[in-house]
Amino acid sequence: MYYDSNTGLNKMKRYYFDQPTTDKFVEFLMTQAEVIAPQKKGDASYSYEVVTSGKDIVYDYPRTIQPLKKYFLPPRETLLSFDSKNNEFKKTDIALNNRIFFAIHSYEMQGIKRLDYSFTQGNPEFNYLQRRENSIFIGISFNPDKWHFTKSVGISIEEVERFSLYFEPVDNGFLVFEVDDTGKELISKFGNGLSLDASMDFEVREKEFKTKIKYHYNRLPQVFEHVYNSKVWSDIAQKCVGCGTCNLLCPTCYCFDVRDEVELEISKGKRERFWDGCMLNEFAEVAGGENFREKLSSRTRHRLHRKFKYITDHSGELHCVGCGRCTKYCPANISIVEIINNLIEEYSDHQKEQII
Amino acid sequence: MENTAIEKQDLYYPMMSEIVKVETLTNLEKRFEIALPDNQILGHLPGQFVEVSIFGYGEAPISICSSPTKMPNFDLTVRNAGKLTDKMHSMKEGSKIGIRGPYGNGFDVTKFEGKDILFVCGGIGLAPLKSLIDYTIAKRQKYGRIIILYGTKNPSEILFKEDIKMWQGSKEIEFHMTVDKPDEYWKGNTGVITTLIPPIDLDISNTIATVVGPPIMYKFVIMSLKGKRMPDENIYLSLERRMKCGVGKCGHCQINDTYVCQDGPVFHYPHAKQLEEAI
Amino acid sequence: MSKPKVAFFDFTSCEGCQLNKLNLENDLLSILELVDIVEFREAMDDKADEYDIAFIEGSISTPTCVERIHDIRRRTKILVALGACAVNGGINAMKNLYPADWVKEEVYGEDKYLFPSIPVQPVSALVKVDYEIRGCPMSTPEFLHVLKSLVLGRKPESFDYAVCVECKLKENECVLDKGMFCLGPISRAGCDAICPSNGQYCTGCRGLVSNINENGAVDMLKQHGFSEKEALNRMRLYCANDIEN
Ligand SMILES: Cc1cc2nc3c(=O)[nH]c(=O)nc-3n(C[C@H](O)[C@H](O)[C@H](O)COP(=O)(O)OP(=O)(O)OC[C@H]3O[C@@H](n4cnc5c(N)ncnc54)[C@H](O)[C@@H]3O)c2cc1C
Ligand code: SF4
Ligand code: SF4
Ligand code: FES
Repeated sequence: MYYDSNTGLNKMKRYYFDQPTTDKFVEFLMTQAEVIAPQKKGDASYSYEVVTSGKDIVYDYPRTIQPLKKYFLPPRETLLSFDSKNNEFKKTDIALNNRIFFAIHSYEMQGIKRLDYSFTQGNPEFNYLQRRENSIFIGISFNPDKWHFTKSVGISIEEVERFSLYFEPVDNGFLVFEVDDTGKELISKFGNGLSLDASMDFEVREKEFKTKIKYHYNRLPQVFEHVYNSKVWSDIAQKCVGCGTCNLLCPTCYCFDVRDEVELEISKGKRERFWDGCMLNEFAEVAGGENFREKLSSRTRHRLHRKFKYITDHSGELHCVGCGRCTKYCPANISIVEIINNLIEEYSDHQKEQII
Repeated sequence: MENTAIEKQDLYYPMMSEIVKVETLTNLEKRFEIALPDNQILGHLPGQFVEVSIFGYGEAPISICSSPTKMPNFDLTVRNAGKLTDKMHSMKEGSKIGIRGPYGNGFDVTKFEGKDILFVCGGIGLAPLKSLIDYTIAKRQKYGRIIILYGTKNPSEILFKEDIKMWQGSKEIEFHMTVDKPDEYWKGNTGVITTLIPPIDLDISNTIATVVGPPIMYKFVIMSLKGKRMPDENIYLSLERRMKCGVGKCGHCQINDTYVCQDGPVFHYPHAKQLEEAI
Repeated sequence: MSKPKVAFFDFTSCEGCQLNKLNLENDLLSILELVDIVEFREAMDDKADEYDIAFIEGSISTPTCVERIHDIRRRTKILVALGACAVNGGINAMKNLYPADWVKEEVYGEDKYLFPSIPVQPVSALVKVDYEIRGCPMSTPEFLHVLKSLVLGRKPESFDYAVCVECKLKENECVLDKGMFCLGPISRAGCDAICPSNGQYCTGCRGLVSNINENGAVDMLKQHGFSEKEALNRMRLYCANDIEN
């Protein structure tokens, strides 16, 4: 109903990996590059971490706290280090080692695709693009929980765009699909000497999303043409405490702050950048004391327009990928899908009135 | 605008430049003349800005207040407002600062040729417009009337007193100013800047208005200009927003979908009018 | 450039902040390279008449305090409030929520008439405070930042955003999600989310972010299973002077 599930998986060459083979495959990957995969964090959370032992990988994680952007746009990053006595500075070296991102969900990959857009538009940014080099992504399917709504923003679970391989769990193991040439190469290197079973049949089983946007995603930019002055923004502002969590954890948010800090030697220091967010108090404040987005309602409005209109008008893609982080981690339980559905409701009521 | 001084790779890396002259304008503002390394020319348009960088103190966007016709150095007028600007005020001739830029779009000076130009400057808004004023004076024959309206809160905040003396003495330039709160020595106009607009006689269809000032000023100045039936197409504004990067990446300067550091700070009024957050 | 003369003074507080400062061990030697500490009650006994930077710890709660703070203000170029008590009254300000006589009775019992006491006030209520170092005890990273900035002759940075931001930058698991109480979403950052990073909840010891949505905050805590009363009480712990109802 919302998207067509013809993902192309059916046409791809595939292999059956039982769990021991999968473990071996991870070991193999670790000989090829640094491997980064979802692991347990705290009591009931997950985060992407460098793999030191294949056992630590959690294959059926719902989502990580921070999105994958942390590897390309680190939460805190040195832009340059300086010596103010001599008025000299050094650029930061960005390592160019090979990295394999393993067991990544489709929406996360799409999030990186959106960031790629933002960092190549206008002035391409070297730091981000340099970190993006030499990365291989291996996807995995997921079971939507009550926060995922990727389907509603046009991203299917089995969207394999930009993956090299794709893992689909089956009984006692995985079906591994060869998505691109890099994936093919990895498999052939790994499979050398092993007899990999490539005969499995596979059918995409449609998985149910509990959370849905009421309109087809194609219609959302149109809705956003009409809701700038909606009451919904001030309704949400009643509940929002302006903590900025929704910005920071969003896979497609990339705004940052820059600050200088010196060492105790005073003349030496670093210019660093940090993730920042348009929900925070001082984001749009200037020296005269004027705050151009003082109200929480105008901040939420800006945040949502950045996801569904402002960048979309140029890139042609929604910049929300439906990961559900902003909702799951919002301390005030504000749901982005609820906001959108309320906007849709107001919009459709308004449309009806116009017809009458 | 060609931007030869900066390579793609170097979005965030400043050129180490030198302060060659410092001049105190008011209690809060100083003018600095800056020389880029190796006599490089900044190559800016009036209305553009640079990111000034002082290690340990950060960066700040500052408008270039000299005309591109002044070369190779350029001027910045800086109000002491915080970390970086405070440090800059303590700097002397010979001190080093970093420069990135020029950034932003600037005024399309060729489009203004043959037109009368009305400058409406509130407070430190005179600094960014000074670049265009000086440019049009330098290319005097290409432009029609030059009319400068300048308002400050009080007489102690008046910038560029020597230039003002020259403007007042010149037959080529019409200059009017006002202060909100006069002191005992003030003999000129008093009142907000909009009081200067109604009395001037303008050839509306052939006049370009450029407006820069504190955020609250724009609405009222535009109302006064509309009161004179000036068409939207003839009005240009330069807007200030918080900026961190100057290159369209940090997101701070956005007005709706528009990055002020890229598609501003100069806005054609018909465009600004479309942006709900602009004025 | 000669080293700035620095002094530390304490008023009504537990002196936890000063101890915290002495815990800087690793950095203490480097700090002494940067500044001349001329008065520091707990560590030495020197007296100098004029200071470049005076750090004030504790809140103002007696008439003698009032005199002393004005005197210090006259003698220092820069005055920095150090720790929650000095910045916004801190825990001490809780006593403002109760009748003054009752408080005196509770604290001093029979001797209550020997101890003149006035409503607890932050230092800024009496003299101009140039900069603040928040926290109870004060946040060490912020202390270092302010000290380095002042030595550089630069205005220190203070952050008007929530502790949540620092938690998210560190990818901490949210303690509210674990069913614990937390004031992180509305409390001022600058501590590097030290409590949530160590499995504790945020008590808001650095004060609240400015223009918070107070009703929203109470609703938020209610949704996580805490009563309105508990929510407000916990918000008042360090911010008695900031909370309206
Ligand atoms: C396009 C443009 C042109 C400008 N031209 C001039 C000029 O010609 N002369 C001049 O004196 N000033 C100019 N400004 C304003 C100047 O950038 C700010 O005063 C300066 O950034 C303050 O930096 P600081 O480090 O001294 O202050 P900080 O200590 O960083 O901050 C002091 C206050 O300034 C605000 N602020 C912080 N960063 C910025 C920022 N990047 N932009 C705006 N406000 C900020 C904060 O809200 C804070 O309250 C211009 C600003 C813009 C956007
Ligand atoms: S996470 Fe929730 S409470 Fe925090 S700023 Fe976002 S919407 Fe508001
Ligand atoms: S807006 Fe929310 S759901 Fe959409 S991508 Fe960002 S964090 Fe995920
Ligand atoms: S200043 Fe960073 S995007 Fe404009």
